[in-house]
Amino acid sequence: MEKFIQFLINGIAIGSIYALMTVGYSLVYSIMNFSNFAHGGVIMLGSYFGFFAITILKAPFWLAALIAMTGTTLLAVVIERLAYDPLRRRQAPSLYYIISAMGISIFLENIVLATLGADFRNYPPLFQTSGFYIGGISIGKLDVLILVVGTISLFGLMWLIEKTKIGLAIRATSFNLRAANLMGVNTEFVIFVVFGLGGLLAGLAGVMYGLRYTVWPQMGLITNKAFVAAVFGGLGSLPGAIVGAISLGIIEAMATGYISSNLRDLIAFVLLVTILVVRPSGIMGKATEDKA
Amino acid sequence: MMLDIKNLHVHYGGIHALKGVDIQVEEGKIITIIGSNGAGKSTLLNALSGVIKCSEGTIEFLGQPLPRKPNRIVSAGISQVPEGRLIFVNLSVEENLRMGAFLRNDKAAIEEDFAKVYEIFPRLLERKDQIAGTLSGGEQQMLAMGRGLMSDPRLILLDEPSLGLAPMLVNTIFDVILDFKALGKTILLVEQNAYKALSIADYAYVLEQGKIVMEGDAPMVAKNPDIQQAYLGKRRT
Ligand SMILES: Nc1ncnc2c1ncn2[C@@H]1O[C@H](COP(=O)(O)OP(=O)(O)OP(=O)(O)O)[C@@H](O)[C@H]1O
Ligand SMILES: [Mg+2]
Repeated sequence: MEKFIQFLINGIAIGSIYALMTVGYSLVYSIMNFSNFAHGGVIMLGSYFGFFAITILKAPFWLAALIAMTGTTLLAVVIERLAYDPLRRRQAPSLYYIISAMGISIFLENIVLATLGADFRNYPPLFQTSGFYIGGISIGKLDVLILVVGTISLFGLMWLIEKTKIGLAIRATSFNLRAANLMGVNTEFVIFVVFGLGGLLAGLAGVMYGLRYTVWPQMGLITNKAFVAAVFGGLGSLPGAIVGAISLGIIEAMATGYISSNLRDLIAFVLLVTILVVRPSGIMGKATEDKA
Repeated sequence: MMLDIKNLHVHYGGIHALKGVDIQVEEGKIITIIGSNGAGKSTLLNALSGVIKCSEGTIEFLGQPLPRKPNRIVSAGISQVPEGRLIFVNLSVEENLRMGAFLRNDKAAIEEDFAKVYEIFPRLLERKDQIAGTLSGGEQQMLAMGRGLMSDPRLILLDEPSLGLAPMLVNTIFDVILDFKALGKTILLVEQNAYKALSIADYAYVLEQGKIVMEGDAPMVAKNPDIQQAYLGKRRT
């Protein structure tokens, strides 16, 4: 039982990192109807920004996170301007966006490979050594930090989406971009904000992931998991993305704890395929035909 | 002139959809544009709303060049009730109306406009908490028109409001257009139902393949033998 609770807490912590990765991805999907595979590259760079902020600038966690988030927000917005905006002007089909996104992802990965090499780099141990003990359960300080920061950020995002004017504009645009435009919503600005928000949370996710695991140039591949989580929750649905991501984290932690860490990813992807077969719109998704 | 369009051209890639259109809209009037499928009617309204770009020509609204961006155009006082309605199907009726007032901050005046819309469409008041996607086609058209009123526009662009509605409802919709006029709104009405459109309009333009081929006071246009044959289903005698 104690083991179970411990795995559960690990799972929720890693799940909240996935959630931070997934929401940016899901927001972009809900408005532009394509899978932004470049998001993984943004997370990876965020992780490197955080790593260098801590190792070179000797920044504390909060400053490293801030630096990484600034970098990734700018990066995400620049990618939108350079890679997607020209496609939108030409009303290109979503396949073009996906190809463009993959190109960006490969480009970012190779830039890092060429300049920093293929090494895995470990963040300096800022938190992990000491932990809390409650009953027989030990919880790492880092997991507590991740849980707190993740929860605050996700609630902040939900508040923004549900309660503010820009949030209303984002929702309206995701329901029907053309109609939103005719109501006077500046959909160009909405798209800009959505990429910015996605980038912001990607930076935070990158730093926390790096702290908990490690940093390497191909780490963008973990956005496959964001994709799994988004599909699981229902592509385009924000609460769905969060629930999906946390569920995925828990399933992985349980699989690692009770079965084997080698099977962790296998289990995650079997889950994706099963969900697509059983319930193509996910647990809370909007029904669309084209899940590119 | 409230709206003055001169030599307007629109291209979709290689397709030349509007080929030098001149249209004038006088304040307080109902102006109709009739034309068959593919004539360029929706293209014209979308160019006015700023959601598609013009390749040539000028548009003046209230003596000023029309802003380019759709949100600026709504603020300037033009709203569109689009073809196919484009309501927000997963929002409630009331939330849809609120979206119509997206750019406004004058709370009291917004509430007054809610009251106006519900007075014109009592059916929407009964269903204000219903999810819009579950409304009937006619109710959705009413919602789209109500939403178009919520930005408190001076000029309303209506794109085939009677499309796909039963004859009874078509009459209701045209009565509503007259209600809009009575509220002091100016109306640019695009229709394929030329008979009804000409019966309520003050002035009419006939658009064919991207060009204005005829214009005049609505009753005059309605009496024209070519128009009667092409759009009103009457044979030449
Ligand atoms: N997005 C688009 N891309 C390419 N061509 C388009 C596009 N939209 C419209 N067209 C073309 O422009 C022409 C005018 O279309 P438009 O929709 O303005 O016609 P309409 O008069 O509104 O017709 P309807 O009565 O059927 O609504 C048509 O030939 C149409 O095929
Ligand atoms: Mg049309």
